Amino acid sequence: MFSYGRLSAFALGGVLLFAQSALAETRSYAVSWFTQAMNSQAGDCPDGVNLPWKEHRLKILRDYGFTGEQIEAMVQEELAGKGRSPIQAFIVMRGRMNGQPVSPYTYPATVIDPKLHYVKGAKTSYGFNLDGQEGPASFIDPDTGEKGVDNELSRALGCMREFRGSKATPPLYWEWTWGQLKSNQPAWLITIEGDDLGSDGDVTVTFDRALEHLRHNIDGSPRKDVTYRIDPDPRSHNVYAGRIEDGLVTLTAPGTAGINLLQDPLVAVMFRMTKVNMRLGMMSDDSLDVMVGGYQPWSDLYFSFAGGGAANESASTGDMPGIYYLFRRHADADPDPATGQNASISATYYMRAIPAFTAAPNLKRPTLAAR
Amino acid sequence: MFHRSLRSRFAAGGALVLIIVGGSAALVPQKPEAAALVPAAHAPGPATVRRLSADQYRNIIHDVFGRSLDLGGYFEPDLRISGLLAVGSGKVGITPAGMEQYDAMARSIAGQVADEDHRAQMIPCAPKSADAADDACAGAFLARVGRLLYRRPLSEDQLEAYVDAAAIAARTTGDFYQGIEFSLAAMLSSPQFLFREARTVPARGSVHVLDAYAKASQLSFFLWNSGPDLLLLEAAAKGVLDRPRGLSREVDRMMESPRLEAGLRAFFTDNFGFDKITSLTKDAAIFPEFSAQVAEDAQEQTLRTILDVVLTRNADYREIFTTKKTFLTQQLGSIYRVPAISDAPNGAPDTWQEYEFAADDPRAGILTHISFTALHSPAGRGSPTLRGKALREIMMCQPVPPPPGDVPFNIINDTSNPLYRTARKRLAAHAANPVCAGCHKITDPIGLALETFDGQGKFRTTENRETLDTSGTLDGVAYQDAAGLARAVRDNPATTTCIVNRLSAYALGRATAPGEKAWVAHLQKAFADGGYRATTLMRAIAVSREFYTVSPPALEQSASAPASTGETR
Amino acid sequence: MKVNRRTVLKGSLAGASVGVGIPLLDCFLNANGTALANGAALPPIFGTWFQSLGFTPGRWRPDAIGRDYESKAEMKPLDAFKARMNLISGCQYFMDGRPVETHITGVQIGSTGAIPVGVISAPSIDDIVAGMIGARTRFRSLEVSLTGNRESASRRAGSASNSPSEPSPAALYARIFGPEFRDPNALAFEPDVRVMARRSVLSAVSDARRDFSKALGASDRTRLEEYFTSIRQLEQQLELDLQKPAPLEYCARPGTPAEGVVGPVTDDVARNATLFGGLIANAVACDQTRVFNLMMGQAGNVRQAGSIENWHGWTHEEPIDPQAGYQVIVAWYSTWAAQVFADFLTELDKRKEGSGSVLDRAVVLWQTDHGIARSHTMDNLPIIAVGSAGGRLKTGMHINTPGDPSTRVGLTLQQALGVPAGTWGALSNATSKTMTEILA
Repeated sequence: MFSYGRLSAFALGGVLLFAQSALAETRSYAVSWFTQAMNSQAGDCPDGVNLPWKEHRLKILRDYGFTGEQIEAMVQEELAGKGRSPIQAFIVMRGRMNGQPVSPYTYPATVIDPKLHYVKGAKTSYGFNLDGQEGPASFIDPDTGEKGVDNELSRALGCMREFRGSKATPPLYWEWTWGQLKSNQPAWLITIEGDDLGSDGDVTVTFDRALEHLRHNIDGSPRKDVTYRIDPDPRSHNVYAGRIEDGLVTLTAPGTAGINLLQDPLVAVMFRMTKVNMRLGMMSDDSLDVMVGGYQPWSDLYFSFAGGGAANESASTGDMPGIYYLFRRHADADPDPATGQNASISATYYMRAIPAFTAAPNLKRPTLAAR
Repeated sequence: MFHRSLRSRFAAGGALVLIIVGGSAALVPQKPEAAALVPAAHAPGPATVRRLSADQYRNIIHDVFGRSLDLGGYFEPDLRISGLLAVGSGKVGITPAGMEQYDAMARSIAGQVADEDHRAQMIPCAPKSADAADDACAGAFLARVGRLLYRRPLSEDQLEAYVDAAAIAARTTGDFYQGIEFSLAAMLSSPQFLFREARTVPARGSVHVLDAYAKASQLSFFLWNSGPDLLLLEAAAKGVLDRPRGLSREVDRMMESPRLEAGLRAFFTDNFGFDKITSLTKDAAIFPEFSAQVAEDAQEQTLRTILDVVLTRNADYREIFTTKKTFLTQQLGSIYRVPAISDAPNGAPDTWQEYEFAADDPRAGILTHISFTALHSPAGRGSPTLRGKALREIMMCQPVPPPPGDVPFNIINDTSNPLYRTARKRLAAHAANPVCAGCHKITDPIGLALETFDGQGKFRTTENRETLDTSGTLDGVAYQDAAGLARAVRDNPATTTCIVNRLSAYALGRATAPGEKAWVAHLQKAFADGGYRATTLMRAIAVSREFYTVSPPALEQSASAPASTGETR
Repeated sequence: MKVNRRTVLKGSLAGASVGVGIPLLDCFLNANGTALANGAALPPIFGTWFQSLGFTPGRWRPDAIGRDYESKAEMKPLDAFKARMNLISGCQYFMDGRPVETHITGVQIGSTGAIPVGVISAPSIDDIVAGMIGARTRFRSLEVSLTGNRESASRRAGSASNSPSEPSPAALYARIFGPEFRDPNALAFEPDVRVMARRSVLSAVSDARRDFSKALGASDRTRLEEYFTSIRQLEQQLELDLQKPAPLEYCARPGTPAEGVVGPVTDDVARNATLFGGLIANAVACDQTRVFNLMMGQAGNVRQAGSIENWHGWTHEEPIDPQAGYQVIVAWYSTWAAQVFADFLTELDKRKEGSGSVLDRAVVLWQTDHGIARSHTMDNLPIIAVGSAGGRLKTGMHINTPGDPSTRVGLTLQQALGVPAGTWGALSNATSKTMTEILA
């Protein structure tokens, strides 16, 4: 008969078989779910959740000085369905530069700030205390109880319908983008290496991108134990020193490194954050539960939203220049030396990952990529 | 003297290599050898009129008209008799619904052959006028393709009929090429194409032999799973196939052809019942990983594994039960839980990779492949009984009777009963019923050795948290696990007699007749003497006179008595 | 002198002025010998219905598989047709690494079995079927949009874009039954030259076919006889195709439909769907077409009167109701759309043709773009096929085939309708697996 321990290691990280050291244990995973970490609660938007897009447009018209009668006429014309909607025609060119209409998506600062509501009433949000400070506005992580949590992105977007959500009911925007990307965007890979991942000790955590997309089972669930080739592109290669305790991996030197992973332009060309902290939980079903926090250039997010233009605004994100103003208001890092405007916003992302085999590219035998 | 004659008849053209594989020589049944060569003892079975299989139809069309043609259409279901569709093909007809499909395919193929893209390369001449009949040009084309489709030259009357038909259609439509199209379509719907006509001629003694062209077909469908090529038809025309040396030369040529792979694939696909794999589905709630692609890949994995043994390495056939070498795709790798790398770009279909299971890996040989463990399991669990039955029937030619009609299976089916957490316990409870015990003794002990593979073929060591016991015996040989069972199957004499029986029945299109026992025994010996190489066995069949000898037509009815199952118990 | 069939045919066809040159044999007459058997079997009809945004997870897929399943809420409007339709759950659109274009890719795979590469795509399923059953009718197919635009999921072979749809019942009426309409029963019959040629060729080679080995045992003789019987049936079918068809007894030119609003408002969509149903039923009864395609709002542009938010918008913006566990407004739309579909089918069924109805000889393939509208997933798709196509399909089942390409359903319908297709679709969306459980 076969020893179960041997097989278990074999199954959970096939690369183990090919690793040099007999002591080292390696487990590889493919990211099977990616979303902004949100923890929306009743009452966290005391000013109200922002209106659905179709109604919100009418508020924009009012902001721009249209009268109630004018707006009603435009609504009737749109409902009659003859030709192009006059509301939409105005909305998609509502920017004003030198008095001329311009795209509000390309030039968000030329749009009147709609002053979208944001989270004011929440005490909790997922993430990490990135700056080491505990202010009156900082959050408490609902899972770990960590205080001083910096997650201004959740504050900025937390009253947008498209971004409200929780671990159990993910924000619609992120559910939609994942649905668009999961079967074609090259998967992200996470590898954890240590002497013995079953006991406490030092580990190395690596994030890479694969050459092929995530594979799924016939019921749509992510498929375990598929072999992925690691993309040799160094831009997506990230290594962290960490420590495992009771199956939970944390970084030994949080805030000292960033994360960079090529992504699909639908979300961002590059998923990047600085001063990263993270925790990776090895779950009993062999999956990995990951929270990654750091400072993200908010322009990365904004321009990926804006890339979808009017269609994105009406279907996926809501008021786009409004989001631009939210980002500017809540950005909390990397001030511009001249203007003082912060270029980055604290953010936390939630990932799940499933066991996978990983292989260095162009090798017939799977092995770990060189460190 | 006896040996020389054996060599000249069965091994001409290639040195007979005698390899005694460790200990296995003793397993060869010790039959009175002389029987094999006494013609008087040979009482052959009837000639069979076989309906083309879907693959044979496809292969012929691709051979004759090239691979750019799209067949369209679908085929009538096949029938499995004596463990083989090849035997069933001699019993099935063509229903009106099936005829509609054959007709549709015939028109689709003929339409493509005669269309503007293909006509120049397919039709060897140009008509005098494109909008009128041209018997000379039509005749040249129809005679050429007719010979390949009928697998024999058309008779004068037949050719005249098709040329006339082309002329009528050309006049009706005002288009020479439509004339060709409709005449060719009619040819593709004819019984001479759709069935394998087995014309015979009387021979010495009270037997008949296949005529030269029927011989050519017998040979090419056996070795290539397609119709004869022009060289083989030429050989038939010259009487080459009637002479042992000439036959041997043709067999050598055909066995060296890359098309031998198609022949081997067809046999093993048929023998292992892989026609059922295309419709194999699993309960998605229990086995969400088991996609249609997995099923398709699983079949291909096993075929590639077998071909690697019997063709690429020309090794002992029995290695298919023990070999660690196999071929995997990404999808299969994830069920076997081993790395299987693609070298294709993102989004491209899975690619095949050679893979060697580690020495201590529980996988060894085709019995541990998904194509066996999952195919012979119900949708939601594994089944020692079905697997044991399949092993007995497919690999060892030992039929297992079906269960009696009134037996309750609730204990077997309920995998969540805390009293019976493993299949071994459930079956023990079930077999307490003496009506069941007899058969389950034949199947279950061997099936239980495969319990470490669940219903979709994934490895496990426990069921309902209870460690699985995979030990047992096969015909007195004890083993501890699946690998041990695989070795026991490899070494069991039934394994080799079975493949000889199956391959000869497959070649003949019927189970061998009692009067052909001596021939089968001779094949058995040739197989053993040749180190159990499948190619040696194929060659022995292909060059033997008995392969082409049939009972006289008048005797057909008595010879087709059901007594001749060709199976041993 | 021996009269050779071949000679007869040759003679009669030699002078190209063939009206009906082939002798009427007894076998071409029906049992009582009075009328051509032709009128008995009206040709099959194929329809497609494409609806964006599908159903709500948990509210459509029955728990039971096979017959006698209990419909879930959003399928209940179709209960009247349950015994005459098949519901297929679990199918998937495969991306093969290509990016998803929300609401577009699903339509492409559903209708053509492939994601187009470049401008020219494969033809849509209705065009493939029309090549088989609709080539000789006045309209190869009719495209109709229910929500006021001109979108369709129908694409002809070699075309760079989808065929435009007709959104107005009045305009469709004018197109079919306007001044250009000719009473099909008054038209002169011209037999198809190609059918004529096929028929004569099969006759011409009948002796050659018989020239088969005579040394056959009893069972092989029986098998050969079965073959010859099958060939004879084929010849009889061709013979029938060459006769002037029986009059279309049930053809009647309908009255002009009432003027109504054309647009995406639910009440208008529902009313127009019923009008279209009646028009299409009449067009079929008069053999003006045998193929039709309906598009129910490719991007879910349907909305309720007075609401500025449409169905699609709600899928993005409506929160999941914590009590109900689903998007309540979106679920209302899905259920409403099923009712509109049912009302359309009722119109087809109301058009009686003797003992049967237009729906009886139709099969209408209902497909959607996403499995879950909210997250735009491409798996666990609902697919519905209503009608038996004149007995060519078995009906009344819920079939669950998780992970199979959606093309299996389309392939099976093509085969039921006589398309000689062995495979359909491209890459992972390709299949050669017929759903044998529904083929009659």
